[in-house]
Amino acid sequence: MEGVDLVAEEGQFVSIVGPSGCGKSTLLNIIAGIETHDGGSVAVAPRAGAGSSRPHIGYVFQSPRLLNWLTVQDNIEFVLEAQKVGRERWPGLVTKQLDLVGLPGQERNYPLNLSGGMQQRVAIARALAIEPDILLMDEPFSHLDAITARKLRYDLMEILERARPTILFVTHDLSEAVFLSDRIYMMSTKPARIFRRVEIDIPRPRKPDDAAVFDLERELVREFFSVLEGPA
Amino acid sequence: MRENRLRSFGLRAASILTLVVLWWAGSRLMGDPKVLPGPWRIAQTIFANLTTPGPEGESAFFDIAITLARIFVTFSAAMLAGLGIGLAMGLSRIVERSLLALIPLLLTMPTVLMVFLAIMWFGYSEAGGLAAVLVVVTPYVAVNMYEGAKAMDKSLIEMARTFRASRRLLLRRVYIPQLMPYIFSAFRYAFGMTWKIVALAETFGLKYGIGYMFSFWFEQFNMAQVLAWVILFVILMLILEHAVFARLEARAFAWRPSHSF
Repeated sequence: MEGVDLVAEEGQFVSIVGPSGCGKSTLLNIIAGIETHDGGSVAVAPRAGAGSSRPHIGYVFQSPRLLNWLTVQDNIEFVLEAQKVGRERWPGLVTKQLDLVGLPGQERNYPLNLSGGMQQRVAIARALAIEPDILLMDEPFSHLDAITARKLRYDLMEILERARPTILFVTHDLSEAVFLSDRIYMMSTKPARIFRRVEIDIPRPRKPDDAAVFDLERELVREFFSVLEGPA
Repeated sequence: MRENRLRSFGLRAASILTLVVLWWAGSRLMGDPKVLPGPWRIAQTIFANLTTPGPEGESAFFDIAITLARIFVTFSAAMLAGLGIGLAMGLSRIVERSLLALIPLLLTMPTVLMVFLAIMWFGYSEAGGLAAVLVVVTPYVAVNMYEGAKAMDKSLIEMARTFRASRRLLLRRVYIPQLMPYIFSAFRYAFGMTWKIVALAETFGLKYGIGYMFSFWFEQFNMAQVLAWVILFVILMLILEHAVFARLEARAFAWRPSHSF
């Protein structure tokens, strides 16, 4: 991987789009600090007004990765405890996040009693609960069926209108990226590098069937194929 | 769910009842209580053993207590040793490599042989029983724990690390809950092996205890007493198994959507 320079401004939704195997997930793991890198640097500035010096990083994975033996509430409290958030704030944070992701009253339920889409909502609530300076999302809708994914994608827009974290979103789905993002970085394989940065100023709230979203997607798809396949 | 449980209880009761009826019919056909005493006769013998002093001047409760104490001590020792060794194998490659060849060796050793060896080495003492249980049961528990440690979901550990969970939190919320099914299956199997070995050791060498009473009455060729002690022992172990372990297990796995025990 080389020449991967990307910047996300505070409160911005930034997507990284590329074919599988281009190292998108590796990039997120390096930012999260769970994979090592041998060159280059990563800097995450704490949100303005946040007290702590170490940045809080939220992560939503492809699969929910919930602890199935814990209730929904305990799953969220797990990361609160991990991040050493004061215990007196837990009940408020749990309730707030569950309301936000559309699962009010599910505190005492166990993950395996929830549908895949609901489990992913819990995973989003968990990541938001630590009030992240940056929220990393690694193809969070790719494991869901098309209809559930579409609904959740739409709801994510609304959730983010209210929570407003900075987001780094990895996907191979261009239409998803165009629909959600303020900025897109497009990556290619061999070598893994960013070949294009696109600013999207389609006004929000957007609709999935927005003509502007469609047009931009089509344009970017064309561009993608010309880069991936090289000159014919 | 409730209806299912009732039905399965009914089926179990019916099959046990059938066995008792067959036993009764067999004893009637045989017609010789010295060879096969009937169920009623055995029930009376058990009751008498529990309420009146036996050949050693103690009632059956004394022997039950001795046997249970032996089972408890040796079982706890073997579980602890097995848990420690198994986890060490799962978490350290050096321990894994050095023990992996050794364990099948111990697992294939016939249990009866181990009891004899232990008695030959340690004499007719409590240490002999303990040694036999340790040698037979520990490797089994260790293998189970080792498999549990290997089967742990790496993606959850990664998730916990991403959110910067401390080692303690990781152990409490991620490692141990994933090991629970393995701990329980080891627990049950190890318990079954332990009481068999303890009974065997008591039969062959140890003084007092239920196994000791088997061999005492065996030497007198008293069929009613031998059967009475065997059945008392089986009932005792079934109660322990169902009343204690099944309950603990049901509680530990409440998070599973439809668990049935």
